[in-house]
Amino acid sequence: MKRLWSWGAIIAGALYFLLPLIGTLEFSLRMRRGEYSLDAYRSVLADPAFRATFGYSVAMALLTILLGVLIVVPTAYWVRLRLPRLRPVIEFITLLPLVIPAIVVVFGYIRLYNTSSLLPLTGSATGTNLLLLCGYATLALPYMYRAVDTGLSTLDVRSLTEAAQSLGAGWVRIIGNLILPNVMGAVMSGAFLSFAIVIGEFTMAALLNRPAFGPYMQLLGANRAYEPAALAVIAFAATWGCMGLMQLISRLASVRRTAR
Amino acid sequence: MSFLNLDHLQKSFGSTQVVHDFSLSVDKGEFISFLGPSGCGKTTVLRMVAGFEEPSEGRILIDGQDVTRLRPNQRQIGMVFQAYALFPNLNVAENVGFGLKVAGVPRSERASRVAEMLELIGLPDMAARFPWQLSGGQQQRVALARALAPRPRVLLLDEPLSALDAKIRVSLRNQIREIQQQLGITTIFVTHDQEEALSISDRIVVMHRGIAEQTGTPPQIYNQPATEFVAGFVGKLNLFDATVLDRASGLVSLAGSEIRLNRPIPPGRVSLAARPEGLVLAETGIPAEVTGVEFLGSVQRLRARVGERDIVLDRFNTDASLPQTGDRLHLSPELSRWLLVSHEQ
Repeated sequence: MKRLWSWGAIIAGALYFLLPLIGTLEFSLRMRRGEYSLDAYRSVLADPAFRATFGYSVAMALLTILLGVLIVVPTAYWVRLRLPRLRPVIEFITLLPLVIPAIVVVFGYIRLYNTSSLLPLTGSATGTNLLLLCGYATLALPYMYRAVDTGLSTLDVRSLTEAAQSLGAGWVRIIGNLILPNVMGAVMSGAFLSFAIVIGEFTMAALLNRPAFGPYMQLLGANRAYEPAALAVIAFAATWGCMGLMQLISRLASVRRTAR
Repeated sequence: MSFLNLDHLQKSFGSTQVVHDFSLSVDKGEFISFLGPSGCGKTTVLRMVAGFEEPSEGRILIDGQDVTRLRPNQRQIGMVFQAYALFPNLNVAENVGFGLKVAGVPRSERASRVAEMLELIGLPDMAARFPWQLSGGQQQRVALARALAPRPRVLLLDEPLSALDAKIRVSLRNQIREIQQQLGITTIFVTHDQEEALSISDRIVVMHRGIAEQTGTPPQIYNQPATEFVAGFVGKLNLFDATVLDRASGLVSLAGSEIRLNRPIPPGRVSLAARPEGLVLAETGIPAEVTGVEFLGSVQRLRARVGERDIVLDRFNTDASLPQTGDRLHLSPELSRWLLVSHEQ
């Protein structure tokens, strides 16, 4: 009986997640009247704007992950090592992006960094890209921080640090060679979520007027019938593909370490 | 001039002073144990030597160099932790070679030093293993090799045996002592286990409430405890209610028997005391009533009552028959090993 319920829950869950996907997939194949075809995909892939925006968003996602790791790993490490009493405060701060809408953040950016401000970042494409990158890193912060903090909880951070210090190591070596490799699994799961968020993000990219994938999907969705569905499927597959690749790379790296 | 000097060290955390005016001189190659109950400040002193805690007052000198304000990674100190603290992402050889790599030692030299260290700890075939593939005892030996590889000036051992089971504890402590003597490295060993401290140290510092109560060789600490705390903490101790008859000549009376200590009794409150193995049964003397008997294999342990005090007497398991609970016996007053223990003021 219990088993029956478990199977029921699994099937219900699978239907909930898979049905929309299957529906989208099925619809995306119906561009040619009366038969299934890949016309919609051909049309999307042939669009240079697709390649440009998708490439832009992938690049932004990778930079976001890099920035997130650079900010979060040392911070979470330092909080665990030296400021354990501040952990609830830091955790609260990292959760703020979940309750402050992206639109509030981006309007804040525009007000603070507009062309007549002291730091006119919105005045150039590079500056705006930088703003967008910071915005993305903020959006990904709750996921990255939680993942890394959980990873750190499995380590005896203090003993490892002191052992390394007594062997002459400085902070950069401790964080780079000892802490980061040991929380790599956690970093990867944080990276997965960051990647997924950035690829589909619309609000910030649209309001900062950057050529990202989110606004492109919206634009296409407003003007075409079958292509948006094909685009959604492609984006979905590409996101999972990229993540699979990241997992594979980190797995291979660790296998090589073990084998050596 | 001694090699390691701890000069009037003090340490407070907020308003709590955990180390009071701690001074110690350690000779080169000496093995010193800090012994005391948890919270006595022994680990704090060790961590100040390592540089993980900054002394509130006082100085630390290694080989004449004042290291008090140096960072831990500038002190050339090897440390072994209770929780091993091996780097989980590095294999045994990389763990042992870590300090050498940090110091910029070339790869070939590093490899030979690592091999030498693994040979020293008796794990030459474990170079490619990862920490999680080793037992606790093996991990701690690797941690020892890692600490020793960069040739530190001082080796600090922070309760390195506490997480291991009894048998490995004994064999590893002997191995630590052998390696320490072989390399002639100045070592501080922190422990709360008196047997460990007594068995492997050149000298022991017994600590209590942030103060060094007594510093001495293991026989000195055991046979001539300076304070009641040392006497009670290191080994078992029986206290007796005796009356002083003559302080100058050391004559006291205990339950009707006169005891000649043949040394003057120091002023202030003192107790007459004896170790369980120091008491001897006799035909006549101090009356005692057996309240319990324990058979411990090589030793018979008698519990007895003398006046108002409960005491313990150990004797070797010889052919002599085991007394029974309720038996009335006598303790010999003529012992060479009566102790006089000063009470804390």
